Amino acid sequence: MKRVQAVKEVGDVNEVGAMVENQVPPLARDEDEGPLERVWAEMGQAWAIAVKDVRVYYLTPPMVMFGLLMPFFMFFSFSVGRSLGPETSVARLLALTTFFTASSAGPVIIPMERRVRTFDRLLVAPVSLATVLLGESLVGTFFALVVTMLPLLAGIVVFHTTILDPLLLAIALVAGSLSFSVLGILFASWPAESPGAIMMPSTLVRWPLLFVSGIFIPLSEMAPWSRAVSYLSPLTYSQDLLNQAVLGAGVQSPALDLLALLASLIVFLVLALKLHGVSRRRGY
Amino acid sequence: MSNDAKAIQAIRLSKRYGQLLAVDDVSFEVQAGEVFGFLGPNGAGKTTTVRMLTTLLEPTGGSAIIAGYDTQRQAYQARRRMSLVPEESNIYTELTAWDNLIFSARLYRVPAPTREQRAAALLQTFDLYEKRHIKAQLFSKGMRRRLAIAMALIHEPAVLFLDEPTSGLDVQSAQTIKQVVRRLNANGTTVFLTTHQIEEANQLCDRVAIINRGKVVALDSPERLKQALESVQAVEVAFAEATPGEEAELRRLPGVTEVVKRGDKWRLYTASPPALLPALFSRAQRQSIPIISLNTLGPSLEDVFLHLTGQKVGSAPDGGEGELTGQRRPGGRGREAGPGREGGRRRE
Repeated sequence: MKRVQAVKEVGDVNEVGAMVENQVPPLARDEDEGPLERVWAEMGQAWAIAVKDVRVYYLTPPMVMFGLLMPFFMFFSFSVGRSLGPETSVARLLALTTFFTASSAGPVIIPMERRVRTFDRLLVAPVSLATVLLGESLVGTFFALVVTMLPLLAGIVVFHTTILDPLLLAIALVAGSLSFSVLGILFASWPAESPGAIMMPSTLVRWPLLFVSGIFIPLSEMAPWSRAVSYLSPLTYSQDLLNQAVLGAGVQSPALDLLALLASLIVFLVLALKLHGVSRRRGY
Repeated sequence: MSNDAKAIQAIRLSKRYGQLLAVDDVSFEVQAGEVFGFLGPNGAGKTTTVRMLTTLLEPTGGSAIIAGYDTQRQAYQARRRMSLVPEESNIYTELTAWDNLIFSARLYRVPAPTREQRAAALLQTFDLYEKRHIKAQLFSKGMRRRLAIAMALIHEPAVLFLDEPTSGLDVQSAQTIKQVVRRLNANGTTVFLTTHQIEEANQLCDRVAIINRGKVVALDSPERLKQALESVQAVEVAFAEATPGEEAELRRLPGVTEVVKRGDKWRLYTASPPALLPALFSRAQRQSIPIISLNTLGPSLEDVFLHLTGQKVGSAPDGGEGELTGQRRPGGRGREAGPGREGGRRRE
């Protein structure tokens, strides 16, 4: 009875509900889907989030500043005047770029999304927090992979750098980018609404890692105690893997490096999930 | 829906931030197909409650059930059946209207064959189809709000949460949104509406809950709430010219409990307008100042709101924290738009 009255009242309104009712078949709900379908659907959602982020955030000033320019400036400030061979330079620049670019995406995108409440849009959608964070991580990974092509191509074309193991190089870049991108997501669990508020404290973590990860001082030249510390840094394994791929001169087995990167990815993801969950409980 | 009759159940919901109890043991039920208004002054706990209902915030105590699914234990199922349109239109301004809709469709897993069909239909409904390839950053506030609502409807939610849907909008956009709410409701969608705009709640809602200081202080249909406050009535009168000491004189008239000046009119609050009218006419005659207009007014939802939130009935809310726009229920002769201002905090 109430519905009939309501229709009568709003008869002159545009065909709002009628459109939804008549033209569109009913949507499948979760009672119709199995666990595998759910996983597949979540992967699709993660992809949708990543593609959206690429389109929305890639050319924003913070991304260009922190993800693109900063690694190059840092490399040149630390390497100019030192006699590094082109292969060594490329391996180090690749590690530096992967690390800084991938770990910058989360701290740029998530606070910006928080500020305009689009992050709420993701959190209120039927998608797990892990999928949202995975989607956001993929963006950093893509960004890092695209940006690393610049020094790689420059090394090959301009300086005639030889890549000893291209397949291992590709694996190293993907594994490193993924792990560092999730590290960025972990930084972004700090409930801030401006990229700067996360970038500054994250720099306190990221910069010291550069000095203990074999980028500026090779592992073989480190003191035993600093070498022990370096094994706590995922960047060490990324640099070692890249040294192996470009120079054929890794300190440890590539399998061990990959395993360490995978382990760090899992640790960062679990911590990020926990911290983002805390934010949800506290209402940030 | 596991329980067809109840779209939303809040069961002893509470939220504490340190020492501050933002939501205190709030319980209510919203029937499927109902438009439910959630009113309250700033800081009353409206947004906190909505954030708990929509799984964005974990309650300190109690639980919420959306379309039969517990928002904590079955958040995924609950989210598939609801949508939230926050006060701030959270669209991607760097994307076009079309891309916003398609992204929303992907996020809500609308199947590919119907995705574009639904997006096109919703954009047409909200009069945005012609501008579908324009980036949303060029949209006006009203267009952004319409786009945000269109995005929220892409997956046909059973329950739609609208937070201050018409706040700050031009009349035309506000009217379109109100019509959409009515039409959606006519088609069975449950609408949970938080608003400062009392008249909007009065026009749209089957029932309203009034929350104050974290507690629900009233829950009923707008008309029943007004009936509960029948003792607060008013006579509104405009004289041809003002006289010195006018307010003090009006206060001395029999039965007048409060006098408020509204533009060129005086509003005299009284328990019995018929008893006041002869005195008013007699004063006009005595001073030879004609009465230009005269209305008797029943209690408005705004009065109920002010009464229940501890503010003085009859005091104009335009300067207070209530941030209301209201409309009094006329005593059979015309209506009048009350003063007020819009506003709101993003989070309470």
